[in-house]
Amino acid sequence: MGNTIALMYDFRMAKLRSELLMNIRKYFIDKDYLEVSTPTLSPYLIPEPTIKTFRTEFINPFMERTSLFMIPSPEIFMKKLLAAGSGSIFQISQCFRNAEQLGDVHNPEFTMLEYYTVNADEKDSIDITHDMIKHAVPSTLDEEWMHNEPLVISMHEAMMKACAVDMDKAEDIDYLRKEAVRLSLQYTEDESWDDTFNRIFLTYTEPWLPKDREVYLTDYPDKIRCLARKYSDKPCRKRWEMYIKGIEIANCYDEETDKEETRRYFEDEQALLEKERTETGDEISPSDPDFPSLTIPKSSGGAMGLDRLLAVSLGLETIEPLLLFPLSDMLHTVKANSSNQR
Amino acid sequence: MIKAGQIDKGTALLIKGQPFVCIEREFVNPGKGSAFVRLKLKSPATGQVLSETMKSQDNAEDITVEDKDLQYLYNDGENFYFQNTDTFDQVDVPMKSFTDYEYFMKEGETYRATFWEDQVLDIIIPSKIVFTVAEAEEAVKGDTVQGATKYVTTETGLRVRVPIFIKQGEKIRVNTETKEYLERVNS
Repeated sequence: MGNTIALMYDFRMAKLRSELLMNIRKYFIDKDYLEVSTPTLSPYLIPEPTIKTFRTEFINPFMERTSLFMIPSPEIFMKKLLAAGSGSIFQISQCFRNAEQLGDVHNPEFTMLEYYTVNADEKDSIDITHDMIKHAVPSTLDEEWMHNEPLVISMHEAMMKACAVDMDKAEDIDYLRKEAVRLSLQYTEDESWDDTFNRIFLTYTEPWLPKDREVYLTDYPDKIRCLARKYSDKPCRKRWEMYIKGIEIANCYDEETDKEETRRYFEDEQALLEKERTETGDEISPSDPDFPSLTIPKSSGGAMGLDRLLAVSLGLETIEPLLLFPLSDMLHTVKANSSNQR
Repeated sequence: MIKAGQIDKGTALLIKGQPFVCIEREFVNPGKGSAFVRLKLKSPATGQVLSETMKSQDNAEDITVEDKDLQYLYNDGENFYFQNTDTFDQVDVPMKSFTDYEYFMKEGETYRATFWEDQVLDIIIPSKIVFTVAEAEEAVKGDTVQGATKYVTTETGLRVRVPIFIKQGEKIRVNTETKEYLERVNS
């Protein structure tokens, strides 16, 4: 029986994945990045109210039981290494996000590449990312997007072209809401600026992005708070998200280095997280107390979903065929088994 | 009311007073944003398809539907005509809302239909149906490239690839999802 099951696994996919990971490692190591390995279980996190985490418990006979969280990304540890003087670093690790859809381009456990380049900004990271992908994708794979020059487009231009929303005026929530109504979208009175913006962005702009090349969507609104630096001359942050075939593959920041900004971000986001988790009855993950006082060097950090990169390199719209053990299949087996026993 | 995040394929919703059935659902989590769901909703009355993006926490008005058995009578190119097997009432269903369903509608056969009030939202086609071969092509001798198969047309007009031994007037079982031949049925 073991053999029959083994035959069902697609070892061709496993080989391509292995080749992709090997090429990524070679690319960064040749450029003097240090490969690091940081924990996937942590007692504290960077506060991210919109990301649900997996919680588990550490049982130690000599101390109280302690909650541990599966990391949604290795950002917290990698930035500690940067602050300690590691220089440019990268890591390929398993990351975990809860309460997301099973299937399509989601699996609760997925493989993430995270890479930080010191003395670089997010614009440099576009060149690094494009070059790395060219070297990393297995040479036997050939999809149309690989032949076309990447498109770098600002959020301002993309919103204007996709649905004629003027991001220069959009800081005003009344303007944004009027635009939502013009575009036949609903909003609720109590919703945040981010939510109304995302209704427009997800309905009109994201589907509008070209699908035949890497698309680097830059200069995200300042109002969507994150640990990317702000521009001094426009209401935007030095952040991009990269799409291939309409699927979000990577994101990148010019990393925030101002301790005061970071401290405020941690306080505000932790407060939002506590409010949200209290409403849903989920445990509150503590925020890392040391993080806001770290001296982060001038650097740019990117994070890339490698299951998704491999999927679009194969012309697939789902990551499931690439996973040897998709969680949806495992759950299906458990369910079928338990109903047989009943 | 139902949360948008709980809407599944097949969920029936009321939008501006009109019933729609969800035909596609995709979750989206924008970087640094709340969870959203992209929906494709179809109007059974007009065949119109709406694209909606909703926050998972948004409320939507779901409607209570009821399944009833309908016996298929005929179509006139515009409507399918059924008879409710309980009340013997005639039920008209616009064909444009159910593209290609005519190939699976056999006179006298009973189908399960989903109703909202008097309106048919969905017709459930069994996964396997037995058809009579109305027309059969002559098999080309020596043609083994296709694994010795040929095309036949069923009494409903469906073209199916079958083994060459199938003759006109015989009955065959067909997978309605893939439109593939399954087996010959001895009557």
